[in-house]
Amino acid sequence: MKISKLAILFMLSILLPGCWDNTDLTDINIVTALGIDKDEDGKIIVTVQVAEPAAVQLTSSTHGGGGGSAQIKPVYVKSYKGETIYDALISMKSIIDKRLFLSTTQVLILGERFCKDGINETLDYLHRDYQANYLADVLVARGATPEQILKIQPDMDTIPAMYIKGTAENTAIRAKVERKMLIELFKDIKNECRQATIGQITRLDDKTVKTEGTAVFMNGKLVGWLDQYQTRGYLFVTDKVKHTTVSCSVNNSKISVEIIQSSGKKNVIFKNGEPAKLSIQMRLEGNISEYIGKETLNSPEDIRIIEKKISQEVKKEINMALTKAQKDYSSDIFGFGELVHKYYPQYWKKVMDKWNDIFSRLPVDVWVDIKIRQTGLIKSPMKKDE
Amino acid sequence: MEKARISGLQLFLLMTGFLLGSRLIINPGTEAKADGWLAILISGTGGLLLITLYSLIVLLNPSRTLVEILRDRFGNAIGSVVAVFYIWYFIHLASLVFRDFGSFLVTTTYPRTPMEVIIALFALSIIYAANSGIEVMGRISEILVPFIPFLSTIIGASIVTTHDFTAFLPVLENGIKPVIKESLNLLTFPFGEAVVFLTIFPYLNNKRHLKKITTLSTLLVTVLFLYIFFRNIIILESHFLEQATFVPHLTSVLFPGINLEPLFDVIMIIGGGIKITCAIYAAVISLSQLTGAKDYRIFTSCIVAFSVILSLWIHENIFELFSWTGNVWAYYSIPFQVVIPFILLLFSLFKKDKLQDEE
Repeated sequence: MKISKLAILFMLSILLPGCWDNTDLTDINIVTALGIDKDEDGKIIVTVQVAEPAAVQLTSSTHGGGGGSAQIKPVYVKSYKGETIYDALISMKSIIDKRLFLSTTQVLILGERFCKDGINETLDYLHRDYQANYLADVLVARGATPEQILKIQPDMDTIPAMYIKGTAENTAIRAKVERKMLIELFKDIKNECRQATIGQITRLDDKTVKTEGTAVFMNGKLVGWLDQYQTRGYLFVTDKVKHTTVSCSVNNSKISVEIIQSSGKKNVIFKNGEPAKLSIQMRLEGNISEYIGKETLNSPEDIRIIEKKISQEVKKEINMALTKAQKDYSSDIFGFGELVHKYYPQYWKKVMDKWNDIFSRLPVDVWVDIKIRQTGLIKSPMKKDE
Repeated sequence: MEKARISGLQLFLLMTGFLLGSRLIINPGTEAKADGWLAILISGTGGLLLITLYSLIVLLNPSRTLVEILRDRFGNAIGSVVAVFYIWYFIHLASLVFRDFGSFLVTTTYPRTPMEVIIALFALSIIYAANSGIEVMGRISEILVPFIPFLSTIIGASIVTTHDFTAFLPVLENGIKPVIKESLNLLTFPFGEAVVFLTIFPYLNNKRHLKKITTLSTLLVTVLFLYIFFRNIIILESHFLEQATFVPHLTSVLFPGINLEPLFDVIMIIGGGIKITCAIYAAVISLSQLTGAKDYRIFTSCIVAFSVILSLWIHENIFELFSWTGNVWAYYSIPFQVVIPFILLLFSLFKKDKLQDEE
């Protein structure tokens, strides 16, 4: 009896602790970034950026010392063609030694051609596979292939993917690019009431990339771009601005205002069962962060003038974004359709397919209210007293 | 019947764990899309009625379990036949939950482990739990079940970063039909499955509290379902909800920074383990009473083995499983969950006076 109990205990200790397909860290390739593009024949090109943990440690510890010995590169980038994403990833094993581990993917870069052919159906694999990292940042490469972007060797970080992720993350303080995680992109794709947008990435040189602007999609196909100011207008409306700085000029002096709080509300106004107008209401709060000029700044009236100027500036950016979305791309990236769907479901059912055209024709009321609260450590701008 | 007794708190937790069980994997109310909350409310109300019905049956037939009640009320022959059907139903229920968990774990956490191994290992601990008797099951649930609402609440509260609290609009976009269908689904899975407890209620030490305990448990489960539904729809939006195979798992992956998945698997294994253990226990107790065996433990291993094999053979793929639980299970369950218990209640009410007169 005792022996059988011991035997069972022994068996359990073997059976229970480990996974069936346990793989050691040394047997996998840690993928930090993934690029997806298409070639002329419609084949999918998948690019992976793989980090070499040992080399990363080596470079960071001997950084500046300039070790003369033959160093392993911290990352390597490889591309492979295939019929589908999964096909390319698996076939890629012919040039890569170990199993690719995708859960560590930080950045996903989509190629321009791939986006123009439509992303609605083609990203299925990244949603279906258990390894996919839903929190990876998605960006669209403009004017370069994903491979070219992933091959940069930045000075700021040993792993390019972390550098790219960092530039996308810091949009929280500048609001010039939309940060879109994979899961949010999937939500956009699935939601027929609004069109998808993805942040834009461009390659400056061998060491630098720039994340600024937005790629606009229409029914899953890339139709155009927004520049950095239009992007901010778009982010204002969709209430995604956390911090940013807006500049204006008053009487030959330049003023920068730091927006510390922003809330955007959009609405669709109905008349006689038809949408008559779109309205956008912005409530902003900010502090004066820079004032280059000769005026004095000490009365509430002075502040009021600046508030007015800044609100005009914000209004201008919003209008630019609206014009682009309505006139150039006729794509409801702001999600006005969602409001119609939620509050007028009967009407929505009728116009579902042609909503983007209706959206393009509707006039828009933009109303911006900004309150400037603080002026920093000094009151009037810095100048020589007369 | 065992001499064992369980306390009110233990029964409450056992039942809560049972009702939450595998519904935690498959999102409650997905078919009705944004109207899932309506379906949950309707089925919660219906579930309350059904579970009250079960507790009334037990109260009217003190210290008798399902098989004994059936024989008392329907006569020996018919009662035994109905009891056989019930035993089959309990085994089938256990095998379905086995399969649910197997599919879930194979898809998300153990992609290369054969499902047979996962289910078999799971089954070993369930044989042990069922053999230890109802008192041990009660104590297990006392320790483990509080984790389920606790962890679900924490996960939910920490994930909601987007505050689109109007995500459940518009109300009744596709009419009332999907809502009714989903309510029926939810009513039979999990609320009606509490018919299993006809074999467990009699062990409660203080019968006066039975109705209070069952009501509280049903209410708590309904509230948790609502909470989980709103959490999922706020995070994932209604358009996205129907896409995922295992919705709550998807929500748990979205937590930034750390991986909450294992925590979530733990919740599910607790709920599922309790559910299967209850179903197996009900099956073997009924079987032992039907055959007049002295100890129910002789049946446990073979019944569990049978339901493990059944779970592996019964469905070819995951869509079959889902379409079975979504479309067939409800109608298949109605006789067991509603019709027979209702007749049983009528008989109990009617014959009660007669029995008392005779005495």
